[in-house]
Amino acid sequence: MVRQTTLARAFVRLADTLVSDFDIVEFLHGLSTDSVEILAAEAAGVMLTDGRGGLRLIASSEERMRLLELFELQGAEGPCLDAFSSGRSLQAGAADSRIRWPVFAPHAAEVGFQRMCAVPLRVRTDIVGALNVFRGSDVPFTDDEMAIAQAMGEVAAIALIQERALREHSLLTGQLQAALNSRVVIEQAKGMLSEYLNVTVSDAFELLRTYAREYNRKLSEVAGEVVDRTIPSAALTSRPG
Amino acid sequence: MLDDGRRARIVAAVSDRDSAAGVAGLMQRLCLFAVDQMDLSGCALVLMSGADASVLASAGPHARTVTTLQMELGEGPCLDAYASRAPVLLPDLSATNANRWPAFAAAALAAGVQAEFSLPLSVGRSGIGTLDLCRDTPGMLSADHLSDALVAADIARDAVLYQQYAPGDTGLAQLLETAGSDRIVIHQATGMIAAQLDETVPNALARLRAAAFASGRSMYEIAQDVVERRVRFDE
Repeated sequence: MVRQTTLARAFVRLADTLVSDFDIVEFLHGLSTDSVEILAAEAAGVMLTDGRGGLRLIASSEERMRLLELFELQGAEGPCLDAFSSGRSLQAGAADSRIRWPVFAPHAAEVGFQRMCAVPLRVRTDIVGALNVFRGSDVPFTDDEMAIAQAMGEVAAIALIQERALREHSLLTGQLQAALNSRVVIEQAKGMLSEYLNVTVSDAFELLRTYAREYNRKLSEVAGEVVDRTIPSAALTSRPG
Repeated sequence: MLDDGRRARIVAAVSDRDSAAGVAGLMQRLCLFAVDQMDLSGCALVLMSGADASVLASAGPHARTVTTLQMELGEGPCLDAYASRAPVLLPDLSATNANRWPAFAAAALAAGVQAEFSLPLSVGRSGIGTLDLCRDTPGMLSADHLSDALVAADIARDAVLYQQYAPGDTGLAQLLETAGSDRIVIHQATGMIAAQLDETVPNALARLRAAAFASGRSMYEIAQDVVERRVRFDE
């Protein structure tokens, strides 16, 4: 029987992450512990894609070493990998597991897990990982429970995808602004140097490039320091020989 | 933008699979689309950073009027839209609210611009530029056109951002090269003036702008004189 208040609280917590900064590991740890409580399970964990078709454990409901090892094994075979690559939820009891995952299943049994389910963390075609939940006895997850697990997986995926987009966007805008600014400052430095050193603007450019190369620095950084006079223009005159 | 239908329609209108022009072509077609569909006399897509503005694409008789005026005067609705990341909508430049930018409003009216709308291109907390629309008659954009314009701004912003990582496509780099090329002379002149007056670069820029304003010539013209050593600021 699913506890309604816990469920409500879990969804509010998930929704919260959509509007504020959050820590991924902490977030997924919360998702794991909530799943255990809501789905009357023993343990849970979340694996995320490493970007190359593989999965990595990011958080689990507890730090038990044997649980962690179990997730390690899922790199090659297991419920998370199946849910992730198929994009579909699944569950399996002890017997089914041995057939589906002959290497993984015995280890799960050893730890005491008799039934497991996995749901993809997915928004439309974007699948970023999987949530894996374990029970200590072979009691199948009901349709309602699977639906709840799936919904939690979806909301978690939205939060993760949004966070990834924000991170990428900040990186991209930062780079764009830097590219725009560096072009300006390089031209300003060329002008300033050509005036102070009484050389042509293209000679000034050569001096900037030589200096940057010699001191192994970025051209735009050197230009910036010439412009704010951190580097005196005289320092860029070509040396004899 | 949750209205997928609107975005899909606009993307279809500005797509050209046969075009080899890449990002530059897309930007240009967005501006042309806006001018055609929204009864505009000018539209410009402008990238901005703290230091400068680069026009990526423009269309219409007033294509560059508004951008140029703002860079000359150092003030204007586009600069504000970029800095605040909020749209600035001026359906009538002769009305009182345009007095936020007295020099700009007067100059724009003198150039035949009667209404101006600036939509920021922004990503999260950062702005990267604006989509600027103007008209030679006063009047507000219809709600439909405004929505289209907002979506067009999103399309442009996304194209710029993701082009940075398009493998093997130097389209954006080339676009930035070309977009900024008309201001190179101004930046070089600013550096020279700063050296001549032993001043900071922002002060040198202010001096250049003041000289242009006082003489009725453009900053570009004065900058050319400086770079070609016909004029010095320390004489």
